Amino acid sequence: MIKGLETRIIALPLGPALLLAALLLLLCLAGFAALRKKRAQKRDPAEAPDWSVPVIDTHAGLSSPFHIWAPAVKVGTLFPYCFLIVSLRSLPWCGLALLISLLAVHLAKIPWQRPLRRLAAMTGFLLMFLVIVPLTSPVQPGDTLLLFPLLEAWPFRVAGLVLALTVVLKACAVALLMEPMLATAPLPVTLQGFTALGVHPALIEMVLLSHRYIFVFQQEMVRMHRSMRARGFNPGTNPATLRTMGNCFGMLFIRSFERTERVFEAMQSRGFRGAFPTGARPALTARDLAKGGIGISLGLLLLIVDRLFPIL
Amino acid sequence: MHISDGVLPVTVSVACYALTLAGVAWSLKKVDSADLPKIAVVTSSFFVASLIHLPLGPTSVHLLLPGIVGALLGPVSFLSVTIGLFLQSLLFQFGGLTALGANALMMGLPALACGLLFQRFRGQTRSSNSLAGALTGGGGTLLAALMLAVLLATAGEDFWGVAKIAIAAHIPVVLIESVVGGFTLSFIFRVKPEMLTSKPDEAD
Repeated sequence: MIKGLETRIIALPLGPALLLAALLLLLCLAGFAALRKKRAQKRDPAEAPDWSVPVIDTHAGLSSPFHIWAPAVKVGTLFPYCFLIVSLRSLPWCGLALLISLLAVHLAKIPWQRPLRRLAAMTGFLLMFLVIVPLTSPVQPGDTLLLFPLLEAWPFRVAGLVLALTVVLKACAVALLMEPMLATAPLPVTLQGFTALGVHPALIEMVLLSHRYIFVFQQEMVRMHRSMRARGFNPGTNPATLRTMGNCFGMLFIRSFERTERVFEAMQSRGFRGAFPTGARPALTARDLAKGGIGISLGLLLLIVDRLFPIL
Repeated sequence: MHISDGVLPVTVSVACYALTLAGVAWSLKKVDSADLPKIAVVTSSFFVASLIHLPLGPTSVHLLLPGIVGALLGPVSFLSVTIGLFLQSLLFQFGGLTALGANALMMGLPALACGLLFQRFRGQTRSSNSLAGALTGGGGTLLAALMLAVLLATAGEDFWGVAKIAIAAHIPVVLIESVVGGFTLSFIFRVKPEMLTSKPDEAD
């Protein structure tokens, strides 16, 4: 696996390595225990698990530079900006992009709990990168390898860690921007911004309707789960649980198919003729466009410095 | 498992978006515009079902359901999957916004394939429907895992290790989806068999 004479190999002494491993283990155990304790406090075991769906536009009524930004320009700026961010290659510039996203969340006045929940949702996928890429990516000449005691068969490639960190920073930078982009106006208004950018209106209507009914079916699922528990259902890793849940999903789908007709008839009786009425689009101001210009310029600037000054 | 932002090369992300938009346009053509609200409502139930975690030893897994969506919606499943994934990204950050195209292809193409397979092999009896349900339930997730691995592999040799681990991590989910898919479609066959032969707009 190790090729090239230029490869630097640093063997870590046993003592510090064991100390590091013990510290990491302790940290993981403490985190796991804290999580269990929190869950135990939060939940009555007889109740349905937490299947709650967050409401995206809870904080749409606040006032910030993002809230007063016309949705069409806001989405039209931040969406391509996200693509510019994911085009970055070098770690420090990805870090700068993350700082800009943190600043954007701060300016949008969204409570930090929301963006942090987004970051937590990606933890598993991104942790996999941080651990697997340094251990499995092919060694190139000039690489620095760390050899942990007892794990000499798996050299830890520093360049792999840098690559994985780059991915993590980009993912976090874009995830943080989701809140200023999509949570600073009521959802229908934000989605109207996508329509202004050329997305098919039928698609936006479907997203809105699906979003509305997620909450209905989530409640239905909680009710079904409660009645299953009342009949003695105790989920576990066994075929009986899979059979019961299979039937439960079947029932949920049947109810949803049956509900479609009633929903459609209700919509028609209220005058639905294939399209939702939309409010007048707000007129674009010079300030909206200036914000758009700043956003895109910032993204382009990051991309240019990333390509001209690739550090790490 | 959904792909986050920043993992795939930007060319791959953009190409996947273009293919997804083409797939959505094709799906939109396949259905009468007046029936779109019905598909939207059904999409919500798939979304909610994919949030449910089933216990697996000390941990738990949630289902991906591409196979069942394909079996129930047929050609419009691609549209349904794309909308569901957009909402998952919007509400939970399950999958990045720039990777939405890739995630939609990863789940939507297996759904289309499973829809065709289910109709081809489901037969007329309860046991044949159960078997076809198990095959589409597990097969959809297996195809999605393989597509995930292929997409990760496009990001370069550095990510091949992750691609292999991702496939391995999906094996228990494939088995569970297979069993649950068999039971779900067998249940629907017994209770409302017309759902398996027609689109939601023709169900009643």
